[in-house]
This record gives sequence, C-alpha cells and structure tokens, in this order.
Amino acid sequence: MKLMFLTCVVWMLAGTISILHAQDNSPPSGATGTNASPSAAAGPAVYKNMSLEQLMNQDVTSVAREPEPYGQAPAAIDVITSDEIQRSGASSIPEALRLADNLDVAQKNSHDWAISSRGFNTSLADKLLVMIDGRTVYTPLFGGVFWDQQDYLMEDLDRIEVISGPGGTLWGANAVNGVINIVTKSADETQGLYVEGGGGSELHDFGGARYGGTLATNIYYRVYAKYFDQGDEVLTDGSNASDSWRMAQTGFRMDDDASAENHITAQGDFYASDEFVTTGGQAHTDGGNILGRWSHTFENDSDMSLQTYYEQTYLADPIPGNTSPIILKPAGTLFDDLDTYDVDFQHRFHLGDRNNIVWGLGYRFTHEEDIAAPALAFVPGTMDQNLYSGFAQDEISLGRNLFFTLGSKLEHNYYTGFEFEPSGRLQWNITSNHMVWGAVSRAVSTPSRVDEAENIPSIIPGVPFLKGNTNFVSESEIAFELGYRAQFGQKVSASLSSYFNYYDHIRSTGITPGTIIPFVFQNNLKGETWGFELSMDYQILDWWRLHGGYNFLQENIYVKPGDEDINDGFNETADPENQVFLRSSMDLPYHTQFDLAGRWIDQLTINSGATLATVPSYFEMDARLAWQATKHIEFSIVGQNLLHAQHLEYGFPGPDTEEIARSVYGKVTFRW
Amino acid sequence: MSKRSSIASWFYILLLVVAPMNAPAQSKEYQIKAAFLFNFAQFVNWPSGAFPGTNAPFCIGVLGDDPFSGALDATIQGETIDNHKIIVERSQNVADLKNCQMIFVSKSERKHVAEILSALDSKPILTVSEVDGFAERGGGINFYLAGTKVRFEINPGVAQSDGLKISAQLLSLGKIVQSAKEDK
Repeated sequence: MKLMFLTCVVWMLAGTISILHAQDNSPPSGATGTNASPSAAAGPAVYKNMSLEQLMNQDVTSVAREPEPYGQAPAAIDVITSDEIQRSGASSIPEALRLADNLDVAQKNSHDWAISSRGFNTSLADKLLVMIDGRTVYTPLFGGVFWDQQDYLMEDLDRIEVISGPGGTLWGANAVNGVINIVTKSADETQGLYVEGGGGSELHDFGGARYGGTLATNIYYRVYAKYFDQGDEVLTDGSNASDSWRMAQTGFRMDDDASAENHITAQGDFYASDEFVTTGGQAHTDGGNILGRWSHTFENDSDMSLQTYYEQTYLADPIPGNTSPIILKPAGTLFDDLDTYDVDFQHRFHLGDRNNIVWGLGYRFTHEEDIAAPALAFVPGTMDQNLYSGFAQDEISLGRNLFFTLGSKLEHNYYTGFEFEPSGRLQWNITSNHMVWGAVSRAVSTPSRVDEAENIPSIIPGVPFLKGNTNFVSESEIAFELGYRAQFGQKVSASLSSYFNYYDHIRSTGITPGTIIPFVFQNNLKGETWGFELSMDYQILDWWRLHGGYNFLQENIYVKPGDEDINDGFNETADPENQVFLRSSMDLPYHTQFDLAGRWIDQLTINSGATLATVPSYFEMDARLAWQATKHIEFSIVGQNLLHAQHLEYGFPGPDTEEIARSVYGKVTFRW
Repeated sequence: MSKRSSIASWFYILLLVVAPMNAPAQSKEYQIKAAFLFNFAQFVNWPSGAFPGTNAPFCIGVLGDDPFSGALDATIQGETIDNHKIIVERSQNVADLKNCQMIFVSKSERKHVAEILSALDSKPILTVSEVDGFAERGGGINFYLAGTKVRFEINPGVAQSDGLKISAQLLSLGKIVQSAKEDK
C-alpha cells in the first residue's frame, strides 16, 4: 500500500511541478533553461556555470545510461555513473551500490553491510568479486568484502559497473553471482581544487579535499584526503547502539598520457578507521595499497596491459565472549594481518576478420597472519597462498550482427588445485537499438580461511566446538542466462536479465559422528535459483528523468539426499524475493537539482543457527536537494531513510538487534 | 503486501512505457560544447587591438552550418567578457567573421580548413573546431569525444603567435598538440 501511495505522490508532485515549470517562461540567467537531461544538470543555463573540469565529465549521451561499450555488453550489467552517485547523496561506496537494480544491499549497523547479487547474502557471503581500479578487494579470510575498508572521495568515482551473474571466465574465482568493478576518474579528469565538508544527524561531520595538477605536459596527478565521523545507530527499542565509526583516508593517482601508444597509471591509498562495536569493544583497521599499470597500444589495433599491486590490511576485531555452556570463552580480540602481491598481464588482438581474442596471465601471493581471540581462532594461524591463473576468450563474428564469445579461465589455488571456469555467450544485435543475449557459464567459489581453518574452541581441551574442513571443496555453479536490452526512441531505455542457476557443493555444517562436536563445515547442499532483473530509464522531459528497477529472486537450496546439515540448508541464504527501486531526478530553475529515491525490499528469512526468523519488508526513501549557488559553490541537503525513525535491514530480530536510523546531512562543495 | 506492491510497480513501469515521447530538443553534446566556448572566452586573453573599439562586442563567429540549434545563443545571452557584450554571428564566408574574437569552424567546412586557417593567419582570433587534425593543421582548439565525454586538443603555439594569452588552467586541461611539420 505504501508503495502505491508513494507512486501516486511522486506522479502528482511531478505533474504539479511540470505544470509550474511550463508556465515559467522566464527562467534564470535569461536562458531557455529546459533543454538538457537531468542526468547531468540541464541546459545551457546550467552548463555555462560549470567549471571546465565539470564540463569534461559530462556525458554527451542523454539517455543511454550505459556508455559504450557497456550498452552493448552481452551481460547483466548495471553501470552507476558518477553523476548518479552525486545525485543520490551517497556518502560511501555501499550506499552508492543501492543504485544498482541487480544487487541486494542491506545495512547491518553503522559500519557493516551485507551485499550480494542473485542470492546467498549471508554474513559470510562469498560469491561476489569486487575490484577497485583493477585491485581485487575481497579478503581470503572469508571470501567476502570488508565494505568498511573500501572508501574514496565520492567525487572521484568515475563509475561502478555491477555485473550480476557469473564472471569467472574473465575474472576468476568468487565471481559466481556477480562482479563489482569500481573505477575512479583518471587524474586528468580531476584537475583543480575540490573541497567538501558538512555534517548531520547520523553522518556527524565529514570533510575532504583533492587537488589535481600537472607534473609535465600531459602528465596529470591528484592528491586527496578525507575523513568522516559516522554516529551511532540504534537498537530495536530505540536506545543507542554504540557503534560509531571514524575513518580517515588519503591517496594519490598519476596518469601519464604523454605518448599516444603508452598510458601509465600509478596510484595508492592509505586509511585508518576505528569502529565501536555494539557487543562491546572497538575495532581498528588500517591499510594501504599501491598499484602501477602500463597499457600499450600496438599499431595493428591490438593492445596489452601489465598491472601490479601490493596491498596491506590490518584488522583488530573484538570477538564477544561466548557464554554457551559448551564453549564458555571470554571476550577478546582477533587480529588479522594480510599482505597481497599481484601481477596481471592481458593482451588483446584480432585474428583474421572474425576473431577478437583476449588472453591473460595472473599471479597472486598472499601472506596472512591471524592471532586468535579466546572464542575464535584460525588454525594454522599463518598461511601463505599462491594463486596462478590464465584465461583466453575469443569473440567470433558470425555475421554482421551476431557474435559468439567462448572462453575459459584456468586457475590453480592453494586449497583445491586446478579450477576450470568456461563460458559461452551469444549476442544478437537485432537492430542498433535492440539486443538479445544468452550465456551458459560455470563458476566456482574456492574455499576461504573460514571454510578450511576456522576454529571455535570448546570447554574440552583439544576438541573444538566448530572447525574448518581441510577437505572442503569449491562451491560450483552452472548458470543459464537470457537477456534483452533496448532503446525505445530517444527517451526510454530498458534492460531485462533472467537467469537459472544450478549450484552444487554449497557450504553446510555437519556433526562429528559419535561425539557430535566438533561441528565441521561440509559441502552437503545443492540447489537452484532463478529470477530476473529489470531496469528502465525514462527521460520524461529534458529536465526530468525517472528510473524504475525490479529484482525478483527464487531460491531452492536443499540438503543432498542422504547427507546432513544442522541448519537444514538455511544458513547460506538471507535474501528478499522482491525488490523495487524508483528514482526521480529533476533539474529545476535557479540551478537546483531535486532527487528522490524509493526502495521497497521484501522480507527475508535469516537463520540464527537454531531457529529461523524473518526480517520484515520495508519501504524507505532518500532525497537530495542541491543548489549550485555560483560556479564554484554548491549547497546540498540529503535525507536518507526518511520514512521511519528507524528500520531493520538485516540481522536476527531481537532486542539487541541494530537498526538503521533516519539520517539528514548538509554538504557544501567548493571547486576551483 | 508483497503481491500488491509488485502489481503497483508493474503498473508504474507500464505507465512509463506507454507515456508519450517527445522529440529531442538541442543536443546535449552541443549544449556542452557551447559552454566550453563560453569558458574558452574566459580563459584566453585577447590583445586590446583585437577589438575595434572599447564598446565593441565580443563576437563568437560560427562558420558554416550551425550545429548548436540555439544552445550557443542561450549560453552567452546576457554575458560579457571584460565588459564586452558577447554576441554570435553566423556566416558561410570567413571574410564576414574577421571582426570576431573566436570562430567556431563547423564540420561542414572540413574540406576548407586550410583556406580558412590561412585567411585567419596571424589575426588575434581563437579558432575552434571539431574536425580531426584541426589543431595539428594550425587551428587553436579542437574538440574530440573520448568515449561519451567532450575533450579538447589545444595548439598553444598557434594561439600565442597570434597574440592570444592562454591561461595555464586551460592548457592543463587540454591535450597539447603541436603544428604538424608540413603546415606553416
């Protein structure tokens, strides 16, 4: 009902504004004022007040939301542009990911999120590959992402590509249900001074600055720094959850465009963050990375790139005491120290008239040291892993408008040895505006430290309560996908992606025969998921754009006949069946922008290990009003989760569960 | 709740599909390029001799077919540069635009670039175009598209030899090119 109500309200509001605007024949600055798309601020009156740097970041296509080549990519891809990120008022990468129709983003507390695509969104979700500027950021500790360690100035993000469905052929292990590729702007796109600052009810205060300049002709750099102080969320009864979060980050990027054939990028980031944890104690994390990439274009329309990076992360995580009579361990701190070294090579070339071939080689070395807390350990505490990988893919033109892409990744990992991740994709461009694609792929999620080395001790010395399984195998998937993407006239674009996935060897928990404990991770689940993702953009008027998204998911995960799982197959899923997203973006007179975003998220079933519980469905809404006062200064006010004082998105409902509070903040940005 | 909301969303999406579609207005690309031209005027200094008098307007000439469909007029309307009111003049003939301070050479003139540039040689006029190789052939600034974004090449030697002063910021944002050997 609420959704119906909102739909009506948005339409009525829109109609009213539309009429008012039509009557307004003298917009500011004497310009006609109503000519461009709101996706990038509208019309000559707005563009002329932009700095050169801002102008260089405007997309010239007004409706095609996915700039080439994404618009033509035969995959379920949703590209979040920098403009959409700015207009959403997102202050962090996880908040920006709410803009993707093909993700499920659930905020757990002030500093933690559960993010997944096409299901399996558990606390230990491990089926999404996430990269930032080519650097893989999921942790080998559990195969998931510490979202609280991934940050940038939102201003410096160029785009976020969210691909739902398997991407193992190109990207390797963990790209089972999706790939998120976060891309920052090139240094030549961030020239000049940028300063931002503000604060509000939940995001207490924040500030950031960036300066971009040139080192020599066509060699660009930027340096930036930011910090924020995120306040406490609330418990179910409205009391303070004591989970505030402070973080600071600095970094640089250099892009050398001096020669037409060679492009060199060097970049690095360093951060430190402190988080209070509602169950007691304070988590600390810090780290940094440094990356270099050399791309070379050959004369015969082929190119190669060579990339290397080093990343270091450090985590001190308070682990609550366990009062279960069989465990009885006091609270303590788990320390995780991780070094990652990675080299990646890629080469693309044409073979004859019909073959476009890409192949590559990669090597990654990780060194991880874990120091146990009383209630949680990893055994062995120190682990070195080598990951060798290679891939090849051939895109074959079968005709003018028909393409077949065949490829595979071959990886060798520490736990399971060789893994093979092939895929075949067919793309048919019916017309230049209508494209149908289909794919069959295999992908795997290789074991993580949790699967193989986790150890929860019990009161009996030498007999853990739960332990990892050194015989744990990779979880595997065979995915069938069918999609359609279209542009209807100048104003409407739409994308529909459907899938049917078979999974096997999904993680389960079993008992030790005779003694019951230790519980041990096994691969006793299998099952199917199916669903579809729909996205639609409509440029109603030059200054007003609407976006709608719908995500439908069915999951059937079960214990293999004759096997066991103490969680009855419920521990690997916590996913809404339906998600609906609606957004309205308007460019109004007097250099103002007004954006509304509503989302309705279906209820989800979550497992506590003993019983099932339900996180209720919710409807929430974000809004942003921004005023470009002068060419250099913009004021904005952002409201997040405005409809309720607080609401639950994730976690086992109970008095100590953390909920997400309504948040309002103001922001001033200055560009020179 | 769940079912009804799904139906509501379908209804909403259906509405989007069947709602009438309007014809496009000015292209966004040329609105952006018009704003670039306005910016160039602010980041380049013309010698005082470039203006026929102190009250003379600052003229942006459009040579050839006008691709802006009014976006350029909308951009500069009511604007001044150093107290010179900005105006737009259009012509198919470069001789008509010799009193302008900036000339945008339309794509329609791509076959006549050499003649146009030689007619304007050593005059304090900033030439801007969107024809491949325009800056290398002796033009001042040339737009190109990098993916979906507007970028520009700038030939500082040409502009400066004509007495124009180009700000460091403009130089830092453009891709610097030099005149090709065979020209000049």
